[in-house]
Amino acid sequence: MAVMNFRLAAAIKAAHSVGSLSRAILGKSGETISGRVVLSLYPNSIKLLSTEKQVLLVSGTNGKTSTTKSLAQIVSSLGKVASNTTGSNLDWGVANALMNRAPYAVLEVDELHLPNVISETNPKVVLLLNLTRDQLHRMHEVKRVADRWRGACTNANATIFVVDVDDPFLNYATQSAKQVLKVSFGGRRHPDGSVCPSCGKYLNWSGGIYSCGCGLTNKVADRTFPDGSAGYRNAILANVAGEVVGAKAIEVDEKALERTITKHVGRSTATIRLTKNPASWTEALRGVDSKNVVLILNARQVDGLDTSWLWDVSYESLKGKEVIVCGERGMDLSYRLHVEGVANTLADTFENAMSQFPSGSEVSVLAAYTAFFALASK
Amino acid sequence: MSKSLKIVRIHNELLGTYGDQGNADVLAFRAKARSINARVLDISYLEVMPTDGDIYLMGGAEDAAQLLSLEALQRDNNLQAALDRGAVLLAVCAGFQIIGNSFEASGKKVGGLGLLNIDSASGSNIGKKRFVGDIKIKSDVVGCELTGFENHAGYTTLGQGVQPLGSVVVGHGNGDDKYDGAVSGNIFGTYLHGPVLARNPEFADLLLSRALGGPLEPFNDPLATQYAEWRRKVTK
Repeated sequence: MAVMNFRLAAAIKAAHSVGSLSRAILGKSGETISGRVVLSLYPNSIKLLSTEKQVLLVSGTNGKTSTTKSLAQIVSSLGKVASNTTGSNLDWGVANALMNRAPYAVLEVDELHLPNVISETNPKVVLLLNLTRDQLHRMHEVKRVADRWRGACTNANATIFVVDVDDPFLNYATQSAKQVLKVSFGGRRHPDGSVCPSCGKYLNWSGGIYSCGCGLTNKVADRTFPDGSAGYRNAILANVAGEVVGAKAIEVDEKALERTITKHVGRSTATIRLTKNPASWTEALRGVDSKNVVLILNARQVDGLDTSWLWDVSYESLKGKEVIVCGERGMDLSYRLHVEGVANTLADTFENAMSQFPSGSEVSVLAAYTAFFALASK
Repeated sequence: MSKSLKIVRIHNELLGTYGDQGNADVLAFRAKARSINARVLDISYLEVMPTDGDIYLMGGAEDAAQLLSLEALQRDNNLQAALDRGAVLLAVCAGFQIIGNSFEASGKKVGGLGLLNIDSASGSNIGKKRFVGDIKIKSDVVGCELTGFENHAGYTTLGQGVQPLGSVVVGHGNGDDKYDGAVSGNIFGTYLHGPVLARNPEFADLLLSRALGGPLEPFNDPLATQYAEWRRKVTK
């Protein structure tokens, strides 16, 4: 990097040292601390580190991490890719990833950090996956996030926005962007889409097609694909975003885009899926194929402090299954199931929940964000 | 089943942003447990509001949705007619503001339904912060502490003839950190999500007994009690 100035080089060196120490002494990934150090020593580092890279950003409520991984894989056919594939998606995670020398950067970005990262990185492509209710204690309102995005999209003239136009919030956010590639999966009713985000009128839906008097509609798209699961849609969107920079599409593997890990607990096998808001719970409940189910609910910052949204999800498909609930806010979920008529029992820990199934059981586990990562790191 | 109960969920597609739709489920559940033939009727923005409901429910919403719900409720006098008959109304957050004299949404001041003598202002217009977090109030109306989660920027002042739902123990409530909600006769308003009736079964039973016009048969639901007591204990 010929133009890199001395101060930035020194900042990166310091960041790497601190990151190594964090890994060696604390056993942590070192990503957050490295990113924080480089940003505090050189606040402009995201901007400067992006100048010699082709940057592709990925954001949305659900599927950011897995789609970023997939897009990084697609773009890697063109050259080395810097990426924050572990989900460290705030400013410092972005800064940390950009410190890697590579001609391409594929970056996952938190919804509220996206406007800033767009203006700093001047990205070639921004892939927007979906926008639904999540962490309302932090996001406040879905429309508020869409408004912030809209401001950032309108000003990014050199950027091509790849969006799932079936989501009216994404369509609205990119309405006045200069370059938009609209992808449709034939229409899909949005759970929070009763009001037109553009004009505030009652949004007319016919099946999965919306059409407002103000002109906002998903009847028109640049690319159309058959409908499918969230994992499938994100795989397609990653391919489309990759094609924009000249990368060849890869085979669609929707299972690879679900955040799932398999763990052996005692003599049983747990397939653990990440779930975090009404949209991802609804999606994950569709995929429960085992008779044995464990649900884990926490309500820390990243899970969302407010558990009210549990009542926006129907758990009816779990009726007749063996359901055990645990987690710090397991009782919120247990009572919600109880009112819907889904028999369940409470357990104090995940291990105790698993031990209640006969040896050799296959168990479907849906885990809140923090619970998922706690289990993944075990 | 002898008695029946019609629960009307008003504009859930607009007023369902913060999970308040669960209030209807809890009322129906606790009514059915007492052999009351309860059913939940969803009335959308496009439909005519029935006048023969026993309990009407409104929830929280974003600004544009709040204004649409108000517009639909102003098409006729049906909700007022039902309340005049003695029906019960629970309105949460954005719904609470709609049933007052006035409120602010999308940067403008609008006239509400005037069912409760209250006025709401938006804190974001006067540079005040949004209230986001756990809330606990002590309610003489219900006869116990109530817990929930608040997420709003509303400042609500109470006029003549209404009393608060409770005094604030933890959180902000109507914005003055002193009181939350408002009550007049069978009309109840609050900023508590949770949903509030899931967190507070005593409140659900109060609404049921008001709607049915008499005391309820006892119903012992240990999980509901355990849940309510736990939230009251940890909300501090």
